[in-house]
Amino acid sequence: MAAWDLSVTVEDLGSDAPPVTLSVMSDLHVGGVILKLVEKTQMKRDWSDHALWWEQKQQWLMRTAWSLEKYGIHADARLLFMPQHKPLRLGLPNGITLRLRACFSSPVFHTVIGICRMLNIRHPEELSLLRPVEEKKKKKDKNSAEEIYDLTEVPLSSVSRPSLYNGMPAHFADSPQMEAIYKMLSVTQPPPAPEVIAKQYRPASVVDKAHINGRWLDSSRCLMQQGIQENDRLWLRFKYFAFYDIEPKYDVVRLTQLYEQARWAILLEDIDCTEEEMMLFGALQYHISKVSQSEPQMQSSSAAMDDLESALQCLEVKMEGESSSASEMLDIMTAPELNDYLKIFRPKRLTLKGYKQYWFKFQDTSISYFKSKEESIGEPIQQINLKGCEVAPDVNLAAQKFLIRLLIPAPEGMNEVYLRCENEQQYAQWMAGCRLASKGKTLADSSFQSEIQSIRSFLAMQKSNSGSHGNVPDDESINTHSLVSPRYHKKYKAKQLTPRILDAYQNVAQLSLTDAVMRFLQIWQALPDFGLSYIVVRFKGSRKDEVLGIAPNRLIRIDLGVGDVVKTWRYNNMKQWNVNWDIRQMAIEFEGNVNIAFSCVTADCKIVHEFIGGYIFMSTRSREKSDTLNEELFHKLTGGHEAL
Amino acid sequence: MSAQELMDDIDAMFSDLLGEMDLLTQSLGQDTVPPESVPTISKEVNFSMDFADLNESLHELEDNDLDALMADLVADLNATEEKLQAEIQGLKVPSPPPADLPPPPIGLNTHSVSSHAAIPSSASSTSNRVSTSTSSATSPLPPPPPQAAKPTMEEIESQMKADKIKLALEKLKEAKVKKLVVKVILNDGSSKTLMVDERQSVREVLDNLFEKTHCDCNVDWSLCETYSELQLERTFEDHENLVEPLSAWTRDSENKILFQERGEKYEVFKNPQNFYLWKKDKKALKDIKDKDKEILIQENFCGTSIIVPDLEGVLHLKEDGKKAWKQRLFQLRASGIYYVPKGKTKSSRDLICFVQFDNVNVYYGKDFKNKYKAPTDFCFVLKHPQIQKDSQYIKYLCCDDAWSMNLWVTGIRIAKYGALLYSNYKTSEKKAAVSAVWTNRSTPSSSSSSTPSPTIKAKSQSQANGHVPKPQSGQDFGNVLPPPPFEVLPPPPPDPFLPPPPPPLAAKSCAKRHQPTNFPHHPQAVDNLPPPPPTPPTDDLSETPPDFLPPPPPASGFGTLPPPPPLHANSLPPPPPPASFEAMDQSLPPPPPDPGFLPPPPPQPVFTGAGAPPPPPPPPPPAAAAPAPRAAVRPTGSVRKMPPAPPARTTPSLQGGDGDFMSELMLAMQKKRGNQ
Repeated sequence: MAAWDLSVTVEDLGSDAPPVTLSVMSDLHVGGVILKLVEKTQMKRDWSDHALWWEQKQQWLMRTAWSLEKYGIHADARLLFMPQHKPLRLGLPNGITLRLRACFSSPVFHTVIGICRMLNIRHPEELSLLRPVEEKKKKKDKNSAEEIYDLTEVPLSSVSRPSLYNGMPAHFADSPQMEAIYKMLSVTQPPPAPEVIAKQYRPASVVDKAHINGRWLDSSRCLMQQGIQENDRLWLRFKYFAFYDIEPKYDVVRLTQLYEQARWAILLEDIDCTEEEMMLFGALQYHISKVSQSEPQMQSSSAAMDDLESALQCLEVKMEGESSSASEMLDIMTAPELNDYLKIFRPKRLTLKGYKQYWFKFQDTSISYFKSKEESIGEPIQQINLKGCEVAPDVNLAAQKFLIRLLIPAPEGMNEVYLRCENEQQYAQWMAGCRLASKGKTLADSSFQSEIQSIRSFLAMQKSNSGSHGNVPDDESINTHSLVSPRYHKKYKAKQLTPRILDAYQNVAQLSLTDAVMRFLQIWQALPDFGLSYIVVRFKGSRKDEVLGIAPNRLIRIDLGVGDVVKTWRYNNMKQWNVNWDIRQMAIEFEGNVNIAFSCVTADCKIVHEFIGGYIFMSTRSREKSDTLNEELFHKLTGGHEAL
Repeated sequence: MSAQELMDDIDAMFSDLLGEMDLLTQSLGQDTVPPESVPTISKEVNFSMDFADLNESLHELEDNDLDALMADLVADLNATEEKLQAEIQGLKVPSPPPADLPPPPIGLNTHSVSSHAAIPSSASSTSNRVSTSTSSATSPLPPPPPQAAKPTMEEIESQMKADKIKLALEKLKEAKVKKLVVKVILNDGSSKTLMVDERQSVREVLDNLFEKTHCDCNVDWSLCETYSELQLERTFEDHENLVEPLSAWTRDSENKILFQERGEKYEVFKNPQNFYLWKKDKKALKDIKDKDKEILIQENFCGTSIIVPDLEGVLHLKEDGKKAWKQRLFQLRASGIYYVPKGKTKSSRDLICFVQFDNVNVYYGKDFKNKYKAPTDFCFVLKHPQIQKDSQYIKYLCCDDAWSMNLWVTGIRIAKYGALLYSNYKTSEKKAAVSAVWTNRSTPSSSSSSTPSPTIKAKSQSQANGHVPKPQSGQDFGNVLPPPPFEVLPPPPPDPFLPPPPPPLAAKSCAKRHQPTNFPHHPQAVDNLPPPPPTPPTDDLSETPPDFLPPPPPASGFGTLPPPPPLHANSLPPPPPPASFEAMDQSLPPPPPDPGFLPPPPPQPVFTGAGAPPPPPPPPPPAAAAPAPRAAVRPTGSVRKMPPAPPARTTPSLQGGDGDFMSELMLAMQKKRGNQ
């Protein structure tokens, strides 16, 4: 067999360096080529991550035992010798860009597994990569500022089995910089400035929402094959909305990023919700950002501390729970009281008297009032039990109006009672008391003080919002416009929004960070449109574009004319689905002889195929006991003809 | 905060707590000290105070009501006693008994005998129940709980402190517990009267009624409230507390509580497709496979978030205070009911919130066509539970047909109660399954009116109500041996779920149940059995009573039949310890045996050895027959509010979780010490 010259470009020699020429025979295997190559470069370094990339064929030569002949490589082949792992700029769900080394040679599905392992995100099969939406190129300089988060130095080997150190994977514990990166990953970001939200692209219609789904990378091919270059920008996002086995203890980063993705979906109206729901989302964001500032880590580390803490937590839970515990009993016995002169007004009574001052006493869950302080030993004029009542604030700082509106249930209906306080301090205390009492809690409840605090901080927000606009807001106050979608920026002034968010806030103010994040995700998941990924398609025999919505358990057909769901098919009735790769058409057969076929307009049919196969794959997970991911099955379900 | 600081804080907190509780305990001392010092009369006084306002209606009392109620009252006391007992024994576990603990059987015997003399009927039946649970599970274990090595003095002391705290807490708590006497109307129009305390859930009350009636315990059995004035009705959810909604009724209320089978209660779990796939055609829904139903339930109830059925439709709304009904397009979401404003799209952000569910319950309206000129009779209503009269704050909605009404009401319940609804269903399903097994196995002969229905006890035995029809004074018990020997009886029934068939003589014995004279034999028989490892019941054991499926018929029999053990031996190949059976029987419901036969509770035997015994738990004074009936009387309405029981009575918490709170804290403390 004759020897011939094979020229290989070695990336590590620099882009200007000429290709290295080797004399090879066709029966030489790829491993042998690499060996020769390394000898010839005379560079001493770790070559273990390097491999040969065949440019014309867009293919890695990963089978080192295969001969050149078997691969079909001849002298005209342009081969590139380069590392399989290259830096990538990865946009995270929280909006921050991270530089890290990702695998360019294995299927994207596997690359994502590697990335998630490095970031400590469990269940990587739920995430994938997509090409970012191009930003208007205004601020190139800002990009460089973003890139402080660099994970490219992390040795790939150390990531394989992350052992926890100080509550985080060992490779994050190496240096303060690395710890900062972990903090960025695991702690929620502060609410974005309203301008930032307003500036971002917001889909205005379901067709707009469909476009993003054309950007997903193909999971069964590698990054190189999809034209991704070193240092390119990609987004990492949760793609399949079937979140399996969320365990706050292990899923700190996963939960945080999921929350961020959900939060942005709400803020940018990627998913629709009602005004009431938006206020609750706003309140939860406010609470989460507040709590994450005070308790930066979701959990602590050492085992002893864990035990102690769980015991303490247990204690806390029991104190709060209905089962009385020692401290609760003690509290009841030494129950604090509020006593003060307040003014009362009953709008329903046919009286023109207006506000009348009495001596008020707040005890347990009831308010009693007396003619004066001196007479407070005797029978009260009236006693009002606030349990189950509705409490609404009516505050105007500029006018020094501090009103508590109570709607008190009685057999005849609801009675309206207004209590007027003199000042902020008094208002915060009585308001907090009313809030707790409405939920059946007494002033002795452990949340009383924090309730007062939160009322005061909301008052402060109102103050700063109504004050001069140019001021930099201090830490305490968040612009409430940061918590809601731009639609409400127009609809409400910040100070109008504040009481509404405060109103929703009272129901979540006592949640721990993890619980608040979980609650946010639950409400998000309970939205009717949750989990739908849209693709514009054209059904066989139809002349107009329609939208296919792909959900974790079903497909829906949306008629753009009607703007509504016209048909639903559930996966568990699905018998089979096929892709005709030549005419790029998908055909699905359901039980009961239901057949549908469509071609995809805004996305490649491989993407649709992968979505459906992916969800089927997700649904198989629960049955599998083992923790290891069945990659093969995933590719079988999503790969299409290329993979097989 | 560093770990160290944190621990110091805890330490300080804990010692503060201890200090205060010590004071408390002392101040409560007089209650807690000797059972002997609480004479029967004091109980009488308590009761008459409780029900003074009811006295005038005494004459309207029906005998059977009275009996049933007394049964409840006594059982209540029993529960108290039992709970205390369990708690004490539970507490004891962490602190190992001192080395010089006397041979348990003797110690227990003497102790219980002595206290027995003073403790009358009600208390004794309790103790019996405690022993039941013990005998089944614990008895084979060797006597001293060997968990810990020799405790330090310090540990013992702190343990004792913890015990005292517990005791004091229970008393404090009991003082505040509100109780109602509730008359429940059955399907046949008859009624059962029971006492419900504010800690009882509807589930517990249902279990109670299962025992009192002979129903099949299927998941459809529900408690419903009906509002006569508003013409509303609703089934209570199993997790709800019964007392709270009843407290909202007005004094002169004609409202009723019904015990009925309501298919719609859990229909969504039986046929989820009708709710989650309601848009599909009816035939497809009918033919749905079980597997697909299961998937629907998984999807909607077992994920991170509960999914509310996707409901949308035109309903008729009776507007605030007006007479006319207006049509609107409504949408159900997890966060509330919304409607589409005129001229707007159905887009989420345009929806107007009609009502959120935090403060309202959903009710079915009855005959609204007549009452409010509604378009159809398929109406439902949302209102604050406290509203009892027609008011603008009540939201009236009317559907086109029964099917969509059920869809909406169920959807609202899912949105309001979420995961609770499903766990309620799971619980009642289990209940139904167990009782089905039981019914299949029980002999048909067992259904005399005095025979308890074949159900197992609910999760917490301390809830046992109404098992004893009439409290008896204590005179019969002089000879009765205390339970400890029973606990000890070796072979516990091998399969607690499948009790052996009731001995044939059981029925006969029922007739003779008031013959205390026979009773003394019984303990003797027991004594012949192998010497008992006298392990005191531990806390968790006391929480596992559902394991016992006692054969119902023999319920009242054992105590009265001359030599009961032999009987058992005959009917049961490997004779289960007769004593344990008897004990179980006692805890069974209605026709029950005279409480008098039951031995007194084993009073905290552990402490006798410990050197510094805390005050024994005060056994509740006997419920004297005379005053108690008065309590029961409530002629007109079915619910009567009662003032909180006087502190002297102790019905400790029903929540099983309480028990380990202290031990958890202790664990943490010990850990902390270890670290230092």
